[in-house]
Amino acid sequence: MSLEYRLVAFLALAMSLLYMDSRYEYLDRVRYSVAYLTTPVYWLADIPTRMSFWIDDVFVSQRDLLEENTQLRQQLLFAQRELQLLAGLASENSRLRELQEASQAVQGRVMTAEIINVSNDPGSRRVLINRGAQNGVIEGQAMLDAHGLMGQVEEVLPFTSWVLLITDSRHGTPVQVNRNGERTIARGSRGDAPGLELEFVPDTADISVGDLLVSSGLGQRFPKDYPVAEVTSIIHDPGQPFAQIRARPLAQMDRTRHVMLVIPDDEAIVGPPMIFDATTDVVENVPVTNLPEDFSPAAAESQPAPAPNPAAGSAAQETAGGIQ
Amino acid sequence: MIPKANAIWVILLSFLVAYLLAIVPFPEWAMHYRPQWVMLVLIYWVMALPYRVGIGSAWMAGIFTDILEGSMLGIHAFTFAILAYITLSLHQRVRLFSSWQQSGIILALVGLVMTATYWIKVITGETAQEGMFFLLGALSSAFVWPWLFLLLRQLRRSFDVH
Repeated sequence: MSLEYRLVAFLALAMSLLYMDSRYEYLDRVRYSVAYLTTPVYWLADIPTRMSFWIDDVFVSQRDLLEENTQLRQQLLFAQRELQLLAGLASENSRLRELQEASQAVQGRVMTAEIINVSNDPGSRRVLINRGAQNGVIEGQAMLDAHGLMGQVEEVLPFTSWVLLITDSRHGTPVQVNRNGERTIARGSRGDAPGLELEFVPDTADISVGDLLVSSGLGQRFPKDYPVAEVTSIIHDPGQPFAQIRARPLAQMDRTRHVMLVIPDDEAIVGPPMIFDATTDVVENVPVTNLPEDFSPAAAESQPAPAPNPAAGSAAQETAGGIQ
Repeated sequence: MIPKANAIWVILLSFLVAYLLAIVPFPEWAMHYRPQWVMLVLIYWVMALPYRVGIGSAWMAGIFTDILEGSMLGIHAFTFAILAYITLSLHQRVRLFSSWQQSGIILALVGLVMTATYWIKVITGETAQEGMFFLLGALSSAFVWPWLFLLLRQLRRSFDVH
């Protein structure tokens, strides 16, 4: 009979922990300190991945390296050219904003990080990154990869942090359609396939398949205008009050390892080119005039400079295809 | 008569390996098929050494799972305590079962505990996921059980853990 008593005692203990953890905040400190214990476990679990990266690095042929190098050089060239255009656009934009006396909301500094683990709970989509309180990560920071918005920091531990992905069923991202500014909320899919669903969009809303969704900056969590997702399907069911719209996140949720954390910074200026500082792993804004020689965009020489308008991006890509 | 406890490190090490296997990254599509290693190791030790590994140890293992996963403290402690209780009350019968019969018990037990964990997560708002595909994890747990059982028994005998 003592077995039942012990069971009840431990269940009661677990329930009171659950209650305390959901109501009060002081268990967060316990969790924070215990993370010193769990970080080594995650470090151990990450060894196979690091090994495979190391093997990839060591056993790579010179030809592959050269090929990759050429490709990267070309990509850098085109990226630099777009940056050049961006600098012009940015100054124009800030002048316009000054005219309107609007605040400048675009943030420029980011911190690089690596995803070292994925939550093993199929009910939630979260990842662990190798930056924590020691690196200056704060709760609510937005995380990006090279293609789009990924998520936000949910829990900061000493050397690591948990990031809630935008595809989590509990997560809602305020977005707007890039084409016409239609605002909505993209919620993580509740089904088994990872994706996004647009909530409470009336059947008459002007959204079509292929539309780009960018973060709207409402809710003050995510920086404005980062690409989030692409609309993949729209179902108008007369029996439903709202349209069922699904979207595919642009960030490579389950493939990428290298990510960026946006550093909230009120004084950040709109849009000047950034430079990567390898010692601190922080990408900094630098004034255009201070760019080192290597960064001087050589792309401009080989190409006619198109007018700085939004269509320039696609034009640049077409030229890129032509050259390759 | 309760024999003197020894070789606690074998038990701790097996749990450490289980935790590692539980968090080693899997590709997205294989996520649901991950066996519940910690539960399996826990069931084994409760069955083999019921006088040493019981509800209290299960509760601790659950707390560590909660901390490792970053989920709300107490969720896994709650369900693991239930798991240990059921295993304790069944262990004398299950020990006599053949290995595929044991697998059936494992399927039911792990499935039950995973469902309970899911319910608590829904109630506390930890997840809003729909669908019961996570139960595939119980299936794969039942599948790996016979081998895990042999391995752990070998380990226990060679280090004479009692």
